[in-house]
Amino acid sequence: MSEATDQLRWGMVIDLDRCTGCGACVTACQAENNVALVGKEEFGKGRNLHWLRVERYWEGEFPHVRARFVPMLCQHCADAPCEPVCPVYASYHNPEGLNGQVYNRCVGTRYCANNCPYAVRVFNFFNPEWPQPLDQQLNPDVTVRSRGVMEKCTFCIQRIRGAKESAKLEGRPLRDGEVQPACAQTCPPGAIIFGNLNDPDSQVARLARSPRRLRLLEDLGTEPSVVYLKGGGHEHVG
Amino acid sequence: MKRRTFLQLSGMAAAGSALAGCRKGNEKLIPFLVPPEDGATPGIADWYASACRQCPAGCGILVKVSAGRARKVEGNPRHPINRGKLCPRGQSLVQELYHPDRLRTPLKRSGPRGSGQFVQISWEEALATLADRLRPLAPGDAGKSAVLWTPPLQGYLAELVARFGQGVGRLQHLAWEPFAPEWRRQSLYGHQGLIDYDIENTQYLVSFGADFIDSHLSPVRFNYAFGRMRQERPTVRGRFTYVGPRLSLTAASADRWLPARPGTEWTIAMAMAKRLLPQVEPRVLAAAGLDTAELARLTEPYSVAVVAELTGVRATDIEAAVAKLVAIRPALVIAGEMLVAQRNGPEALRAVELLNLLLGSVNTPGGVYLTRPEAPGNDSSLAELQQTLATLQAGNCDLLLLQGVNPTYNLPPGFGFTEALAQVPLVVSCATFLDDTVRFADLVLPDHANLESWGEAIPSAGARGHTVGLLQGVVKPLHDSRSFPDLLIALAQTLGGATGAAVSEKSFLEGLQQRHAAGNPARWNELLAQGGIFPAEAAPPEPLRQVSLGRPELPPAADADPDFPLQLQIYPSSAFHDGHGAALPWLQQLPDPMTTAVWGSWLEINPQTAARLGIAHGDLVEVGSAAGTVQLPAFLYPGIRPEVVATPLGQGHQGLGRYADGRGVNPLQLSSAPEGGGGFPVPGTIPVRVRRLSEAGELVTAGHPEGSYRRELLGI
Repeated sequence: MSEATDQLRWGMVIDLDRCTGCGACVTACQAENNVALVGKEEFGKGRNLHWLRVERYWEGEFPHVRARFVPMLCQHCADAPCEPVCPVYASYHNPEGLNGQVYNRCVGTRYCANNCPYAVRVFNFFNPEWPQPLDQQLNPDVTVRSRGVMEKCTFCIQRIRGAKESAKLEGRPLRDGEVQPACAQTCPPGAIIFGNLNDPDSQVARLARSPRRLRLLEDLGTEPSVVYLKGGGHEHVG
Repeated sequence: MKRRTFLQLSGMAAAGSALAGCRKGNEKLIPFLVPPEDGATPGIADWYASACRQCPAGCGILVKVSAGRARKVEGNPRHPINRGKLCPRGQSLVQELYHPDRLRTPLKRSGPRGSGQFVQISWEEALATLADRLRPLAPGDAGKSAVLWTPPLQGYLAELVARFGQGVGRLQHLAWEPFAPEWRRQSLYGHQGLIDYDIENTQYLVSFGADFIDSHLSPVRFNYAFGRMRQERPTVRGRFTYVGPRLSLTAASADRWLPARPGTEWTIAMAMAKRLLPQVEPRVLAAAGLDTAELARLTEPYSVAVVAELTGVRATDIEAAVAKLVAIRPALVIAGEMLVAQRNGPEALRAVELLNLLLGSVNTPGGVYLTRPEAPGNDSSLAELQQTLATLQAGNCDLLLLQGVNPTYNLPPGFGFTEALAQVPLVVSCATFLDDTVRFADLVLPDHANLESWGEAIPSAGARGHTVGLLQGVVKPLHDSRSFPDLLIALAQTLGGATGAAVSEKSFLEGLQQRHAAGNPARWNELLAQGGIFPAEAAPPEPLRQVSLGRPELPPAADADPDFPLQLQIYPSSAFHDGHGAALPWLQQLPDPMTTAVWGSWLEINPQTAARLGIAHGDLVEVGSAAGTVQLPAFLYPGIRPEVVATPLGQGHQGLGRYADGRGVNPLQLSSAPEGGGGFPVPGTIPVRVRRLSEAGELVTAGHPEGSYRRELLGI
């Protein structure tokens, strides 16, 4: 079993040429992971809880203007700046390359969020509220976080666990594409690909070798597990 | 027995019982004493196929159900429209089901109309009240009539409603909602069949106001195809040009944006046609009933230089787009709602669609596919809507039965819908939420949510064969609601007579089963499991018949009216569509893709215009038109023409639950009577003036207006 575990290194490729910025991934993530609603006032104070957001950048001025979209989520860095600063080891690194967050260890210092260069960690300033019967939609496979706890993208670890368990029950190795985080599963233009980077034949590993590859803020040495593929098409700019 | 033998024997017995415990078939740790009724195992989720009816696209969905509750909605990978993908609206279906402010029981108005005061009544009382009004409508009797207003219906439900109407007598059915594909009747392709754009196999795509990623016909299908057009083919990356005054979400993915003045977009199509015409064999045009010489005359004035002058777009940009369209095959041209809603919309639509004929892109790979419809659509036109409103206003209608529509919100005040309601003695609304229109109803009948309903979702675009998605009630109804078709069946039984004879099925589900798998339960289960009836192969395409072009006209010169110097464009929000998505908090909290704004509405204004008017980002501004004024926060939007401002449709409800009520602004208040083309209730642009009021716009955005980081820093 440990052999099988060593063979896994989860990674994601986001093709910015396919991404249309539609936001389907944002809602899919919120639905899958019981991400709480905060309302307009708290949102305005920067207390949004989305684990995945789509950044939009303007480039140029009218009429030669374009907008670019970058889905931004936890990069699951191999050298994660959020991990060493946690005084209670709530932020840890798992053997499969996931940057984990142990909710019941977290004491809410928010050091990790301070140290994250991608600003993808979010903090529960309040206990989440789901007016009944809205609570019935909650995904039973995912913990509901309480006040004072830091949270962020987990690469849908509950789906990874589920797929590993069913593979084990059927006595077979995990298949490529068997694990799909909610964002990748729903992405209409197919911009998000998830899989095992250690398997050179997996779709994610093949795409990650693309000449269009780049990793965000790579010069910080964070070694992210998310690889972006550059968008094309600068025809009318400049 | 010796002590030793006893221990040996009991040890063997224990081992034996342990072995027996290992036998197959008893895998549960604690077997159930009473197995659950629905056969579900706690902790193990079941997936049920169904279909989404949040917009006319009709995507297939899979719903995760555990412990009898719907938890998550995913796309159905076997459905030919969305192939396992889904948009935010489809994802949010669970929030419609479990919304805390859903209508739970039948209600009767207790205060004055519009006060929102209701008392709970029983279904028996509600049905009796309705039946009393329907009985005097029997054919033969003289007297007033009744109107049933629904969105366009298809398949079995359309047929059921028609039978019900015939049985009742003078019951007129109006099937109208904003942004229904009814506008396509004016298309060059001239029929109401299935249309599919083969975006994934095209090499050059030009969109004239078709926002196929936000809202056009079948957004998930076209978004999926667009991703494949870009990167699925090893050596080809499809190119995309967008023509329109505003950089919409769809336009943001374009390689080239031609920001033409609103109403002049079609002249770019003319410039393209002019250049393409010499390549086209006259017999191709003759087959469609077009004369090459006449077309040459029609397109003659539209040289690139002239078009650049008319549209306000740089000639070199137009030239580059024209040159690409002439050189690259296959190429595809799409025209959409933002073009058709213009005053010259129908003619502009046909002028743009002519390009596909000239490109040889009709019914060919990488082009547009037309398929004959299985049954004609029952969509009503805007003219029919206006006739019906006149009937209401004249007091010739005894009963108005509304289902799934919200005209108080979706029609500009100039249509006089709310005033017309006052002339109707009984207004009955069949709805899931107490929305803007339901507030004016006398009788409110709670409808099932999408995930509780049985039915069909038949796409009118994005497929190449008759596709029927089956809606499955994946959870037991939460409240004392009834689905609309079952309400009609119950009414028919109450009425008896001709209606009872015409609508004789016991329930809609039974009729549905009869229709698709009569007497074959195994087949029915198979259809439900796969999510519907999908064509095994593409249906033969419908050839283009004789077409008539019409002659588009130029809009009056801009800045003609000094009082209202700016042009306001109202576009359907990608999250709320025509507005009914605003009830759902996930969609309220989903940052708008272009502005990242949440929980409200805003006015998009070019930074140059804003600077001229002294408006800063987030300021509260007043937008005034001939019809009225609204107050909105300003969003400095670089992707819009300086003389154009824009605002999304979807917010500004009165009612529709706690998340939507009183939030944002309904921009339709700015529209006076309809003057636009294309069957849209709002003209493509409305002349407005904008002035700054204060700095308190209360605009909340997820990102910094420029984006959180500087782009260069990220290296993209």
